[in-house]
Amino acid sequence: MEKESELIRRCIEAACQSKESVEKWRKQRRTLERLPSHLSQSLLRNLLRRRLLFPSLLEVFKYSMEEIDLRGENSVDAEWMAYLGAFRHLRSLNLGDCHRINNSAIWSIVGMTSLKEVDLSRCMKVTDAGVKHLVSISTLEKLWISETGVTANGVALLASLKNLSVLDLGGLPVTDSALNSLQALTKLRKISNQGALVLQRFPKLSFLNLAWTNVTRFPNLSALECLNMSNCTIDSILEGNGDKAPLLKLVCTGATFMNEAEAFLYIKTSSLSLLDVSKSSLSRFGILADMKMLEHLDLSSVTMGDDSVEMILCIGANLKNLNLSSTRVSSDGIGILVGHVPKLENLSLSHTAIDDVALSYIGLMPSLKVVDLSSTNIKGFILQPGTESHMDSTLTALQNLSYLESLNLEHTQVRDPDLHPLSSCKKLSHLSLKCASLTDATLHLLSSLPKLTTLHVRDAVLTTNGLDAFIPPTTLRVLDLMGCWLLTEDAISQFLKKHPQVEIRHEIVQNLSTEHQTISDRLSTSQQSLKGPQWNKKQGNLPMPEFLLYNREELLALQFSPLSLQSPHDAGSVTPNLADEEDLQLYLLEFSDGKLKTGLASHSHLSIIPIVTLGVAPSV
Amino acid sequence: MKRKDTVKLISTDEMEFVIDKDAAMVSQTIRNMLTSPGPIDNWVFLGGFAETELGEVTFPEISAVILEKICQYFYWALQYSRGKETEFHIEPELTLELMMAANYLHT
Repeated sequence: MEKESELIRRCIEAACQSKESVEKWRKQRRTLERLPSHLSQSLLRNLLRRRLLFPSLLEVFKYSMEEIDLRGENSVDAEWMAYLGAFRHLRSLNLGDCHRINNSAIWSIVGMTSLKEVDLSRCMKVTDAGVKHLVSISTLEKLWISETGVTANGVALLASLKNLSVLDLGGLPVTDSALNSLQALTKLRKISNQGALVLQRFPKLSFLNLAWTNVTRFPNLSALECLNMSNCTIDSILEGNGDKAPLLKLVCTGATFMNEAEAFLYIKTSSLSLLDVSKSSLSRFGILADMKMLEHLDLSSVTMGDDSVEMILCIGANLKNLNLSSTRVSSDGIGILVGHVPKLENLSLSHTAIDDVALSYIGLMPSLKVVDLSSTNIKGFILQPGTESHMDSTLTALQNLSYLESLNLEHTQVRDPDLHPLSSCKKLSHLSLKCASLTDATLHLLSSLPKLTTLHVRDAVLTTNGLDAFIPPTTLRVLDLMGCWLLTEDAISQFLKKHPQVEIRHEIVQNLSTEHQTISDRLSTSQQSLKGPQWNKKQGNLPMPEFLLYNREELLALQFSPLSLQSPHDAGSVTPNLADEEDLQLYLLEFSDGKLKTGLASHSHLSIIPIVTLGVAPSV
Repeated sequence: MKRKDTVKLISTDEMEFVIDKDAAMVSQTIRNMLTSPGPIDNWVFLGGFAETELGEVTFPEISAVILEKICQYFYWALQYSRGKETEFHIEPELTLELMMAANYLHT
């Protein structure tokens, strides 16, 4: 898509500033009718992102919108669809993962005349009755109904959609006879599902999705380029006479291999560019040796250790993406790869046992752009043997990666000082951190990164003052502060006021948007000084997420009167660890009753939560 | 032959804005017109009438209010590119018309 110009971007931002700004332009009917489609789309996307879109507002787009993508929007329901049905120029409608979409919701789009693409993937409430509505849209060319409630009878109905060229039936219980009825669809180029033998009647098939089916072996399809056999038990693939299929992409996520060598016997492995065998039972990796053209290799959650890394060496020359997360690979294994993967851009090692030694090896892979090191043993420093106080920062190795754009260090043990080397990674645009030992210092360090657009600093001990003093890089668009629960509503709204281009993600922001409360509303209330009881009252009106809901009162009590923490939990033992500073008091609370931990599922490994209280130090 | 250093932009309601050529060049569309060797084609393409020597452009789609805002933006963008970081405020009621004009002018 064409990149928006600076002024357009600013206009859209101004238009989506608040509920009030939307009201200012939504009555400009004639202008809205003339709005070019791509501008409508940007505007709608931003409204969605800022949670300002509601069904009746959709009406303003009815003349201009050609493509609409509502994927994963939980609020989308029959009422939204009633408005969408009036979009006369709509060409493409994506409702994937919109769980409230059901058959009657689809009734609204019956008879639409421009619609060519509809994606209903994983809309579980859609059944055969919904398909009856869909077949009224004779213009349909592409239809995705994988993992819906549609049965074989519904699939057979699709035969009347004569213009259909792409059909995704993944995960549907389709029978051979239903597939036979689809043979009437002469334009069909892509299809996915089971009924293996009947597939021979589609000799031009180039894309096949057999995910979650009972197919264990199937015949040779000489034109096949993309094959998805995820979660199948695989005996053999493409067995038969004739040319070996020029397979380019093979996805076998979660598959069970009866015999690796046999399974791949009939595939021209030398042409493969993508192989995804994540979570599969693959345990011998000899088959990799011929895959010289491989660019994407996903081995995550496969039983492999450092010895199998050798197999990757011979095919490393073209490799761009390598996913080794949740494998037994250690730092030594990464060491073996150095020098053999000159084009590697994307490396994922999350949930592996690698430690700081691996960082020095990663620093020697010159093309890396995206590196995921989350949930590893990385600490950010190595203690020099003998000298206990001298620490060598290990993240300095990443400074050699001149293309590094994205780095994930969530669930590692890095602390503020260890992150210093990152400030010279000038191309870094995405950085994810999630660690309870990070503080305001990290935030300030990162403000010097010139290209940072997305920053996650979750579960950190960020304070209101820290956020207030943070000057984000001008490029920053998303600041994710989930779990930084010391931040107050006022701190966040002040920040949003100062930096309207930044989208903040935090529990408080989510609550506010569900109430359709606008930023300006918040600003007016936040002008008043913060008082304990008032804050309490305001919080009481808000639906809090589970983790705050559970212990909100206790935590508030802690925040405003530190002494009352003596017994927030009967079963929980509370240990006020009183430091000496006058202003900043750090407590460590241990909740051993387990209740709190369920609310904090995201930090399942944590049983200690640091709490910073600003105020007068209590006497013990 | 040295051309004038200003251009005149004329709105649909015949309001005239005379601005520096440097500022007008913030718009890729206007820049193309001012720098292209064969001027006439581009002017015609724009739908606006102009004689190149006069440095005038008429925008039949853009009202005076919007064109004024556009001119303000040109100057603001110029300053911004020279390192003066100020806010450019856009009234919400102008956003739609302004983004259409920006789209047209490649600004």
